[in-house]
Amino acid sequence: MIERWALVSGLRGDLETYDLIQRDLKKTRGVTALFVLGDLVGPERNCDALLDRLKNPHRGDLKPDCIYGWWEEQLLAERGFRGERKADALRLSQGEDAVNVLLNTVNPSNLNWLASLQFGFIELDCALIHGSSSDVGDNLTSETSPLILLDRLTRLNVNRLFTARSTKQFHLELTGGGINSQVKDLNGKREQQQEVPKRSVIGIGAGLNYTLYDVGSDKTHFLTAGSQTKTKGMGFA
Amino acid sequence: MNHAIISCLHANLPAAEAVLNDIDRQGIDTITCLGDLVGYGPQPNEVVELIRKRDIPTCQGCWDEDIIDGLNACECSYPSQLAERRGHLAHQWTDDQLTDENKSFLASLPTSLRRDRLLFVHGSPNSQHEYLLPDMDAFAALERVETAGADILFCGHTHQPYVRELRDGSIRVRLQNADHDCDQGEELTLPMRKIVNAGSVGEPRHGSTNATYVIHNDATDEVEIKEVPYDVGRTCQAIVEAGLPKVFAWRLSHGFEFAEQAEDASHVCER
Repeated sequence: MIERWALVSGLRGDLETYDLIQRDLKKTRGVTALFVLGDLVGPERNCDALLDRLKNPHRGDLKPDCIYGWWEEQLLAERGFRGERKADALRLSQGEDAVNVLLNTVNPSNLNWLASLQFGFIELDCALIHGSSSDVGDNLTSETSPLILLDRLTRLNVNRLFTARSTKQFHLELTGGGINSQVKDLNGKREQQQEVPKRSVIGIGAGLNYTLYDVGSDKTHFLTAGSQTKTKGMGFA
Repeated sequence: MNHAIISCLHANLPAAEAVLNDIDRQGIDTITCLGDLVGYGPQPNEVVELIRKRDIPTCQGCWDEDIIDGLNACECSYPSQLAERRGHLAHQWTDDQLTDENKSFLASLPTSLRRDRLLFVHGSPNSQHEYLLPDMDAFAALERVETAGADILFCGHTHQPYVRELRDGSIRVRLQNADHDCDQGEELTLPMRKIVNAGSVGEPRHGSTNATYVIHNDATDEVEIKEVPYDVGRTCQAIVEAGLPKVFAWRLSHGFEFAEQAEDASHVCER
């Protein structure tokens, strides 16, 4: 069967949004996997109901494969799951109150499950990560220098990098180019030419905005849960 | 004006003295050191004190960092488990030998130094432990220099001196996003940048026993890799007398890394 992935992120405890996405997916042909690329939790609301649903899918739900994101990293660090590190990034950007709010959004009984989540998945020639191979908070967008995007792909030796941190939806393909280099050492000089490999970075969106990826055809479809306007031609039943 | 860049002295006093004498003979009075003053070699205090006495601007190497912060080097940097054990032995020995004053000096070193568009680091701008090897992916190499906002990046850590010029680069991209159904294509022209690796004064691994360093002319951007012979036997004898692993002396007397093979096939990074 040709694989079609659904990629979701930035739910931040919003069970209603997740429910809308699951309903969409039920109506969409051929979705074989659901990946939730982090930010399952967030400061806006209590997140336990969503976490329970992700851990214990309803009958008919597409079973989610989850990784951790920036908000989980902050929560877990502050709760002592990251060695000596604390939620420094959150504290620096939003202050002490924001840290305290976050701590109260998740019941401690869910922390071990969150701590068990992986940094990312490598599926086929694709990396699925919240930020990038550099850091969970790496904010890659379509405006990011292609040199940096290529570096993040190269670090994992993959051809596709799916990222969520920016919350944006984009599909940026590296289609060509190259570079020359000359190395001089004590043995003499040698020239090297290298071409840009055909690789892509895909921003999957956040919240209601999610992405379908057709593995066989390398096509991405940017969707909004509950909206019919962008679903034309998507194989909806 | 010419300035000299030295790196990876590794507690080898005869080599350090020989290189500094060679630099002095050329009338060069601006010297930058890229760290790893200690580790492997038998004279850690003497080398640190030589650098302090000469007041040479120095950035912190991975060994300098590990002596201060505890053994923290990624195990990947060792080619085998035996090499790793030897490294741990050398770490303990160096830790025991170094005076508190010299440890404080190592702790005070910055991780990078910058002069205009010249950046000086031990490993890479990302980490003292990252190796920028001469044949690494050219785009990744350029990214290290460009992201750090430098024209020329001076590094060490590999113990192999080289000059790498990255030029005529471009990347073509095509964008599809949620707001615009049409594709947008564009081409980014990449800047020309240079990576200069100073090699190693105290533990060369380029296939010769000579110490290496580089001279950069900041008017022409010409870089010359220099080799300096020194009394290798004196350092080897001091290694053995200090009770350090004899293979360190063997390595110095051959000029390349010594690594066991078969019995360590299962070696994996623990970090």
